[in-house]
Amino acid sequence: MIIGAAVCPAAPLLAAEVTGREPVLPELRQACAAAVKRLAGTGPERVAVIGAGQQTATWPSSGRLDLAMFAPMLGRREPAVPRPLGLGARLLDEAGYGGPRLLQSVGADDPGAACVALGAELARRSGRAAMLVMADGSARRSPRAPGHFDPRAAAFDAELERAVRDGKPGALRDLDESLARELLAEGRPAWQVLAGAMPGPVPSAEVLYADAPFGVCYLVAWLS
Amino acid sequence: MTGPRGGTLRLGARAFGPRQLLVMAIVNRTPDSFYDRGASWDAGAAMERVRTVVAEGADIVDIGGVPAAPGAEVTVAEEIRRTVPFVAAVRGAFPEAVISVDTWRHQVARELCAAGADLINDSWGGWDERLPEVAAESGAGLVCSHAGGLPPRTRPYRAEYDNVMASVLQRTLALADRAVAAGVDPSRVLIDPAHDFGKNTWHSLEVTRRLGEMVAAGWPVLISVSHKDFIGETLNAGRDQRLAGTLAATAVCAWLGARVFRAHQVTQTRQVLDMVAAIRGDLAPARAVRGLV
Repeated sequence: MIIGAAVCPAAPLLAAEVTGREPVLPELRQACAAAVKRLAGTGPERVAVIGAGQQTATWPSSGRLDLAMFAPMLGRREPAVPRPLGLGARLLDEAGYGGPRLLQSVGADDPGAACVALGAELARRSGRAAMLVMADGSARRSPRAPGHFDPRAAAFDAELERAVRDGKPGALRDLDESLARELLAEGRPAWQVLAGAMPGPVPSAEVLYADAPFGVCYLVAWLS
Repeated sequence: MTGPRGGTLRLGARAFGPRQLLVMAIVNRTPDSFYDRGASWDAGAAMERVRTVVAEGADIVDIGGVPAAPGAEVTVAEEIRRTVPFVAAVRGAFPEAVISVDTWRHQVARELCAAGADLINDSWGGWDERLPEVAAESGAGLVCSHAGGLPPRTRPYRAEYDNVMASVLQRTLALADRAVAAGVDPSRVLIDPAHDFGKNTWHSLEVTRRLGEMVAAGWPVLISVSHKDFIGETLNAGRDQRLAGTLAATAVCAWLGARVFRAHQVTQTRQVLDMVAAIRGDLAPARAVRGLV
């Protein structure tokens, strides 16, 4: 069963080293740290880190973020895993979580139903498990956004935020896959894994951060 | 002898690692220096200049009282009058600053070190053989430069070198050895190819291109290229049009391993050095979010 899920964006800038000498979005980093601290504080028997990747796969639990993919001078970490999972692993490390972890990627092109099914399957596994979902919203919220401005982006992101804020992640099971692709919402399959893992309303939903300072929608939340 | 390869450079109470790039800001106490034309001749203006360059991030201030170019004689007494009280005032106002003094005369250097100077910048390549003993007795550092054997304040006239870099290496390394033999702390010795000094433009371009050979000799390398004639001739640029050339030469020398950069424009030089340091991987960007959001 899933006893709680933390949601954090899969943005490389969460890794402080890659953004240089000055702090960038410290409030976002603090929110992520707080969400993962909640997660670790529930004493889970296992943490499943969920993030989009090229295909659906389970990665070695020793996997870490390969910073060299973004900043070649910063050296390599082996074994490297898809960026969302590496960022999640890093958040767990920073929160001091040393227990069992499952690093699970979900294919960027996997249909929603498969993602939902994967989430349901993870939830059926025995033991008290927590989930760390590394997903963000669109990347087209402003003219300076990575994908430039798209007038549909705000409504798409509002749907994500509403589902999280209302404690109804199950509402995300039918996210529009083609719209998500057009809006560069690469977290879409991970959101749908969450929808499958927590299909019903959750008693407690707390949004710790919701903003799009670089035109990318970042949501940080703790659902339990 | 080769220098303490890749070692710590000590100046005053400060210690600088081998990957640090330092700006040495020029402060003239002259009425007629070629670039600033006496802008800080007045003691108040000179102190204001020190205040400005320190605020801009200069690691070293280099104070001189005699222009390099030929001109009216500046006696020992006059050079002392121009520089010693001023160095004492800078030492008082900026106790942490590293103070370099640009002089070739041991009598002047002795007074300057007593007033608080940390480094003797001998641009004229050891013309006065007693400079090392002054540095040694005061604990100051010494810049060992190559002026092609020219007497102070003279211009090169049909200078010839079979191999200019070989000459630069031979002279600067011999001076460094002499300094250490005289008792100067080896971690306070620098070498300087001395662009323009005893060199035509081709020679200065050559020592720039081959600066890596000086770096390989092991001593920290100082370069002084700011607005010099080799830049003006290369770019056909007047005295107030040489900043881009100065910064280009600065970047190349930094890339090739020079560690100290004597400069008029501290802010721009600092930016060039920070850029080179970031390209080398020695300095993280100030703020990187492009493509990382």
